[in-house]
Amino acid sequence: MVGSMIPGINQRRAFRKLLSNSRDRLYRMAYAWTHNPHLADDLVQQTLCKALSNRKQLRDPGAAEAWLFRILSNCLKDHYRAKHEVLSAEELVIVDSRTPQHETEEQQLVRKVRQAISKLPLPQCQVITLVDLEGFTYATVADVLEIPVGTVMSRLCRGRRSLREFLTDIRPQPELVRPAKLMEVK
Amino acid sequence: MKKDEKFSEEQLNAFVDGELDPEEKSRLYNESARSPDLDKRLCQQRKVKDLVQHAYQHVPPPDYSGRAPLARRGFFGIAVAAGLLVAIGLTAGFFAHKSMQSQQIGAAPVAANASQPGTHTDKYLLHVVSGDPAHMRAALEHATHLLESADAGEFREIEIIANEQGLDLLRSDVTPYAKEIATLQQNDVVFYACSKTIERLEEKGVEVHLVPFTNPDYTALDRVVTRMQEGWTYEKI
Repeated sequence: MVGSMIPGINQRRAFRKLLSNSRDRLYRMAYAWTHNPHLADDLVQQTLCKALSNRKQLRDPGAAEAWLFRILSNCLKDHYRAKHEVLSAEELVIVDSRTPQHETEEQQLVRKVRQAISKLPLPQCQVITLVDLEGFTYATVADVLEIPVGTVMSRLCRGRRSLREFLTDIRPQPELVRPAKLMEVK
Repeated sequence: MKKDEKFSEEQLNAFVDGELDPEEKSRLYNESARSPDLDKRLCQQRKVKDLVQHAYQHVPPPDYSGRAPLARRGFFGIAVAAGLLVAIGLTAGFFAHKSMQSQQIGAAPVAANASQPGTHTDKYLLHVVSGDPAHMRAALEHATHLLESADAGEFREIEIIANEQGLDLLRSDVTPYAKEIATLQQNDVVFYACSKTIERLEEKGVEVHLVPFTNPDYTALDRVVTRMQEGWTYEKI
């Protein structure tokens, strides 16, 4: 049946703004999960299409961001389910086409960390990136990925432990790792 | 957790992620002041978090401006498309882009019929995603029904956009519905083939041939967003 999907001007504006403001962040997350720019772009397009056609399902505007990231996560699941594929770390485009010889130290660091993230199982990668990049609470991540909070914590724990091992030779740089301020905060 | 470790790894993560309650946080602060080992463990956790944040601080977003090669442009004219690309620029915002498209492409042939005095116009965008011929047929039949069921004085403007597997509808060497599409086109229904999907197929080495008068200039998402902003009724088939 043909039916109008336009709930009201203010709601429409707010929804447009939400999508507009979220697009780059969704892309960053999709990229962090796949390390494939084309796939990440496709996933974001699918996410926004689905968000547009299902926006009436969004009852609580306060939960809109989690809702969008949940759609993104489901799009990724659907993608892997349909393609029956999981990319290996070697196939991933981690930073760009520049060769290591031309990389600055900064680029090398970024590449190394992204490679380490790409080696994690996807569920651990998703939890870590949602917490660290989006600053989502554990409860929100649980909502996005539709898993219990305890699972979020255990995946985070395992993922960060693996990252620590992968990145063991990276020394703290002043601009990256803030000196311990624990005493001061007290 | 080792026997000599009073705080689990989960607790340390919760600390660096701001998830601890104030009481537990204070306890950890106090303990870290006394224990260099605990302090070191906390620093390690924070370092991992910082590195992840740093690694994805600058992920350049894709270019949202026109993605189809100019060689494929034709239906609405290369000049408009090129003008759009220049005007939009690499850093133009997503919705600014949509707004410009709607202004400039407003001169499309179908729109010319839209606002005659004394007439009422309903606008529909049908979106075909599935490669199932039954879904394709349903979309075409629905468009036909919309045209036929319009009352006197009522004008119906209809666009059909196809992407993903649904693009098969508009591939001249694949579609089972070339005649039906031509008939609808004669009744001013406009067909769009998603530029992104075409790009993907071509990257895989598939030669994409579209049925005549299909517009390949937009991604499905761009078209859907633009039309919804303009108040069109959107239906995914």
